[in-house]
Amino acid sequence: MRGKVDKILLFSVAALVVIGLVFVYSASFYTAELSYGNRYFFLIKQLTGAIVGAVALTVMCFVKVDLLKRFYIVGVIVSVVLLALVFVPGIGVENYGAKRWIGFGSFSFQPSEIAKFAFVLFSACHLSGRLKGRFTSYIPTIVVGGVFCLLIIAEPNMSVTMCMGGVMMSMLFVGGMKGKHFAAMIVPCVALVPVLILMEPYRLLRLLAFLDPWASPKDEGYQLIQSLYALGSGGFFGVGLFNSRQKYRFLPFAESDFIFSVIGEETGVFGCLIVMTLFCIVIWRGVRIAVNARDRFRCYLASGITAVIAIQTMINFAVVTGSIPPTGLPLPFISYGGTSLVVFMTAIGVLLALSRENNCQGNVLKGVQIEI
Amino acid sequence: MTDYYISKKRLLTLFVTAIFLFFVIFCRLFYIQVFWGQDLQQKAMDQWTRDLPLTAMRGNIVDTNGNVLANSVTAYGIYIRPQSVTDANRVAEVLSSVLGLDYQSVYDKATKRGVSEVTVKKQVSYELAQTVRGYDLEGVYFAEESQRNYVYGDFLSQVLGFVSYDNNGQTGVESYYDKYLKGINGVLLTETDLTGKELPEGQLQYIPSVDGLEVVLTIDYVIQTVVEDVLDLIMYQHSATGARCIVMDVTTGEILAMASKPSVDLNNLPRDDVETLMKYSKNTLVTDVYEPGSTFKVLTAAACLEEYSKGNANAFSATHVFTNNSRSRIIDGSKINCWSTHANGKHSNQTLSDALNNSCNPIFTDIALSLGKDVMYDYLVAFGYGKVTGVDFQGEQAGLLVPESVVTRGDLARIGFGQTIAVTALQLCNATAAAVNGGLLMQPYLVKEIRDSNTGLTVKRFTPTVINRAISEDTSSQIAQMLEGVVTNGSGKQAYIEGYRVGGKTGTAQKFIDGSLAVGKYVSSFVGFFPADSPKYLALVIVDEPVGQSYGSIVAAPYAKTIFQQIINYKNLEPSL
Repeated sequence: MRGKVDKILLFSVAALVVIGLVFVYSASFYTAELSYGNRYFFLIKQLTGAIVGAVALTVMCFVKVDLLKRFYIVGVIVSVVLLALVFVPGIGVENYGAKRWIGFGSFSFQPSEIAKFAFVLFSACHLSGRLKGRFTSYIPTIVVGGVFCLLIIAEPNMSVTMCMGGVMMSMLFVGGMKGKHFAAMIVPCVALVPVLILMEPYRLLRLLAFLDPWASPKDEGYQLIQSLYALGSGGFFGVGLFNSRQKYRFLPFAESDFIFSVIGEETGVFGCLIVMTLFCIVIWRGVRIAVNARDRFRCYLASGITAVIAIQTMINFAVVTGSIPPTGLPLPFISYGGTSLVVFMTAIGVLLALSRENNCQGNVLKGVQIEI
Repeated sequence: MTDYYISKKRLLTLFVTAIFLFFVIFCRLFYIQVFWGQDLQQKAMDQWTRDLPLTAMRGNIVDTNGNVLANSVTAYGIYIRPQSVTDANRVAEVLSSVLGLDYQSVYDKATKRGVSEVTVKKQVSYELAQTVRGYDLEGVYFAEESQRNYVYGDFLSQVLGFVSYDNNGQTGVESYYDKYLKGINGVLLTETDLTGKELPEGQLQYIPSVDGLEVVLTIDYVIQTVVEDVLDLIMYQHSATGARCIVMDVTTGEILAMASKPSVDLNNLPRDDVETLMKYSKNTLVTDVYEPGSTFKVLTAAACLEEYSKGNANAFSATHVFTNNSRSRIIDGSKINCWSTHANGKHSNQTLSDALNNSCNPIFTDIALSLGKDVMYDYLVAFGYGKVTGVDFQGEQAGLLVPESVVTRGDLARIGFGQTIAVTALQLCNATAAAVNGGLLMQPYLVKEIRDSNTGLTVKRFTPTVINRAISEDTSSQIAQMLEGVVTNGSGKQAYIEGYRVGGKTGTAQKFIDGSLAVGKYVSSFVGFFPADSPKYLALVIVDEPVGQSYGSIVAAPYAKTIFQQIINYKNLEPSL
């Protein structure tokens, strides 16, 4: 009934996770030594995440995909509860002026990491049901996505909201929503932009600070300038592994949101190209699995998982290179963060499970296989 | 089936879009890393290193025989890098108690945000810095500095001058020769993290400092000591407001001693009281003018004899007897008196020598008027009046000389005996030196050599410079002889030293304060030299506002004698008579 896993996907993800371990160590050993007296502090936590993630990935490979359908409502409820819990004093943890974490003792994680995939599962289930092409058919997906977005923006967390919004649009698009319905959704949002700008003009100025970071080198522009210094120092082949200068506390979040800057500094354009290519391969294999999926639920599920990876990766790259306003979003598989790593690897496990079904001979006979 | 097909088509659209966006981001990345990279890295480098200045040791100032008068000792500047401070309370506690600073102000510095480095205190001694080091405070840094030390404190103060906190010469030799003394500062570059913490495997770049050069003065420590002691004595014995002295080598223009009282301890300057500081640290011998009075008659006598030797009919010979024995002269309706009453045959039928011995004002009035203003001004210029001597010292004054075009007969008559003219003490010394040294006006100087104390090599040497010839050798030796007579028989008797040929001239002038005569306030002086047959040492002693006796012959001459006597002892000079 089931074939082999997509080895290209598996190896690409494995390569990204290993690269992540190396650079988490490289970017963090100095600050880890200073803050915790242990240069391997972040590496050990990341390694734990990778091991747990690998177990989760393997388990998911063998779980029947249809089983997931049972959890689509539960996933949404759990996500909403968790997203709401960040606002509860004593459970929610506030960092850098935002409540994004839930903490239990020394363990903490961002509920939004789980919410993204819960939404994917929900919308895949819902959109693969009987839809009559009417706008109303898409309302449950829009409502769930909208509620998630509202809860996340209230933390506040602009970047995850963007990511969530992007995933929602992708799901609706792949789910076959009509062009005029998109217009009906998007036009009011676009119309709202000038109103928001008129209401709080300083927000726009802050947002646009990324266009000229040197105008405010100590405030809004600081992170971006430091990221550019790191990338710029890298040149073609970088300053050499572990030789980054920017990680000595110049570059904030060097081991998490800005790890790609450290990769760029230590390995240059060359290293960046390898990492970007690996991500492209992951996305390609994800799309391929979706296209070859045996039913719409599986297709949408694979599309959603791939969309989360693609969108989050693109936002991270765009921030690091100063192409969009800076927001904090980790790079999947690579950035420091145990929960994020486990959740993404679990999702890859689901993709691999789908690939096993696709690689089963019977599938080909159904005539829906498209080679891409 | 159709829906599903649309989904797959749309999926492919999204995939292509995603790959396109990746490509766009890669282009941006390529631009940043390759084309913009160099520029960015340059900017980044500035934040990767911190530099600690290595202050060059300021060169020594030594006397003519190499006795160190000013040197530099290592001191430390103490800095805080607030971002590296882990325990601001402890930092503030230790630094405030060890360095005697205010706890709160140190605490504020240790917790200051938005700055990378704050200065706590500069010029901290090695011992204190060592004590602070012992506490091993996080975020506290030390930088080597050089601290100026004046070996004898209140000694040669106005000539040596002083430096600012950051070792820049402010006055005196310290300022004039600053470029040689200060050396070149070095720097220690260290690789640090954002907060200024040194990196464990950080590279060090060390650009060593180059020490300053040694400045060798013409000043002789022994003579200077004698002079300073004598001036202190004068201040005490005559309750004077000031006492000043220059000792010069007339053959070269070298200044052997130069002192002004009251003075100031260079190691303990009243830096907070600028007025006091300026008053006591100013070298008034060079920067202030006074009315010289009778010491100036040397010039008139020299002009007269030189003109006579050139055949000027308006000049008088050395043997000429002046028969106008009146005490006063009326010039353009204004009356000029001699200090003496001329009663009982005093000051009668004098030769030029007699007139010098008696310091008789009317005779010098007669000479000046007879020579006329053109000739007199030629000699004023030849003896260096109306312009700076060119001594190597900042702020030298040129004196006040009535312009030749507007000078009246009355002015000229008074200039003949040293009034209506204001000169610096150095100008008077230098002019008198020219009158007795064979007739050459020399450029006075304080520094004879700049040398590298590490190698002992001379970098620059200053040699005697002749400005111009003022009078002939013959005239000069005649003047020297006449001035010897003043000391042997005349008003300068108090400077007479048995067996040594001392010459000189006294002077007593009333003080002008704010343009009007200050009654009872005098400037008493004596300019003397020896040996008269071949003059070498010249001393000018000026006493400001002596209480009681005011004549230069009593207030100044005996002290010049003391100075000469000490020079004789010091140099082991044989009597020449």
